[in-house]
Amino acid sequence: MTAVPTDLGRRSPPVPPPARVRAARPPFPSRSLRRAVPIGTGVALVGVAIYVIVGLLGFYGVGTLKTPLAFVLAAAVGAALSVGVVAARWLDPKWAGRILTWAVWKSVLQAVLAVFGGLVFLIGLGRLGIYRLGFAESQIPALLKGFYTSLEVVAVIIPLGFVLGFLVGWARTTGSLILRGFAAYYVDFFRSMPPIALIFFASLAAALALRNSGIDPYTAYLITQWVGVVALAFHTGAYQAEIMRAGILSVPAGQTEAADAVGISRIRTMFVVTLPQAFRISLPPLGNEFSSVIKDTSLLSVIGWFELSGTALNLVSEAGRPPESYLYGSIVIWVEAAFLYFVLTYIVTRTVRVVEDLFKVPGLEAAHL
Amino acid sequence: MTHLSARGLKKSFGTLQVLKGVDLDIELGEALCIIGPSGSGKSTLLRCLNLLIVPDEGQVFLDNVLLTNPRIRPEWVRQQIGMVFQQFNLFTHLSATKNVMLGLRHGKKVSRAKAHEKAVFELNRVGLGSKLDAYPAQLSGGQQQRVAIARALAMDPKVILFDEPTSALDPESIHEVLEVMAQLAKERMTMAVVTHEMGFAREVSDRVVFFDAGKILEQGSPSEIFDHPAHDRTKSFMDKILR
Repeated sequence: MTAVPTDLGRRSPPVPPPARVRAARPPFPSRSLRRAVPIGTGVALVGVAIYVIVGLLGFYGVGTLKTPLAFVLAAAVGAALSVGVVAARWLDPKWAGRILTWAVWKSVLQAVLAVFGGLVFLIGLGRLGIYRLGFAESQIPALLKGFYTSLEVVAVIIPLGFVLGFLVGWARTTGSLILRGFAAYYVDFFRSMPPIALIFFASLAAALALRNSGIDPYTAYLITQWVGVVALAFHTGAYQAEIMRAGILSVPAGQTEAADAVGISRIRTMFVVTLPQAFRISLPPLGNEFSSVIKDTSLLSVIGWFELSGTALNLVSEAGRPPESYLYGSIVIWVEAAFLYFVLTYIVTRTVRVVEDLFKVPGLEAAHL
Repeated sequence: MTHLSARGLKKSFGTLQVLKGVDLDIELGEALCIIGPSGSGKSTLLRCLNLLIVPDEGQVFLDNVLLTNPRIRPEWVRQQIGMVFQQFNLFTHLSATKNVMLGLRHGKKVSRAKAHEKAVFELNRVGLGSKLDAYPAQLSGGQQQRVAIARALAMDPKVILFDEPTSALDPESIHEVLEVMAQLAKERMTMAVVTHEMGFAREVSDRVVFFDAGKILEQGSPSEIFDHPAHDRTKSFMDKILR
């Protein structure tokens, strides 16, 4: 038993000393490192999910990866992960237990199965002669390139939109009139603009501003392209702000009052009391918004992005003559593009589900019907 | 020796004056009960004492330090004066131990190990040594309120304010919470309790204050207030509740 706290004043402790409090744990350099291991493993898991999907595509002779190499690499990463899991369990049972639960493995498994099932379905249709498999396969390398571009754009839009939404949503719940007013205008404006007009406007305005600036034309072109992406991030940020606001407002006033009563400052209360509870409420609608904005990236094709939709449009226009093969070709290309959108969305929504599990509170689970 | 005292506290919400100039002294080691009808401003009075609500007028002193001085940080004040709420207000996303640790970690900036040690000690003190890792939603009302008491105790407050701590509980839970509070009173913890538990007020408290319509109507020892009330309003209140 460790020493009883000495600052108890005149009170005499009436209770027996507590038994051993925590299971002994082997020493480790630092706590942050101990936490980094399982978190890193979680991130790597998502990476492997992507990798396995790409590898499977490679198995059918498409994409940029050579089949054997893909599988060897996937196996190597998988082995490294297994070691990571064991290490994490040993280092900090609680965190390892929370992150590397069955839910995570299930998510990955489901993702792989869904994608694999989709592929088998598409290829099966081709084998049955519904469409020409050779043509479908010939489109995939170009579409995969579009897929990576979409991934790149989404990787910018989601974090940026999330940070914006988080800050603006918070601003809308503060006491400051200036912050509240600014945030309200932001939300009102970006929620009422059609995203396609927003993208056009932002990108064209950037082009106009850079016209006589002396920046070399290619850099200027890249800037206008990315300004369109940022405009889309602002668009989703407005929706996410409302989701965050709803989450923050769902935390009862008694919670902040209790934090006040033990002398925690307002800003700390936000981070240690309000936000963890707000996130638990906000995550499902946030997942909704993420999956929605992924598909909104197709609008970027209007300013010349060759992401998934832009690529598909381009391929369709080249699908060839005569008219009936053009019709077949269009259908095949769009089915394949839709399938790749599904993969992209599935990766993101599954990741959100895993994060939801992290924020789960025992005793506050949803009703079982 | 006067420990916590209020002088001329006034507070209005809109046009409704809730506190109409309250003078109150709480002695060191005293268990004070504040009784009175609902809506008379008892809760507001308690919240003014630890500045959860800032009074419009009047002063609050703790050991002759003026707490209503704007140069004193309200966070510091609330670390000196603990509070237990009617609705417990436990942090729903944290385990019992973490609930008790939070104020130590983020209010007093105590190290994690020390805070954990203290939290385990205080939870054992209120008889919850077996529920250290339970979340609020997994605890009964009485257990939740005892965690809330441990949370207040962990800050080593000079005074603890209880705002109707048993009003949201079933009879069995009421008993277990009152037992913990009686134990604290026996250890000469300074406490001010707003309550409708007349048995507790009569048996445990050193002094009873009868509060009505934003003013202290009368105060004295439990037997004075319960058996020989001087004021007509007190008499009619006692007649209704002690029948």
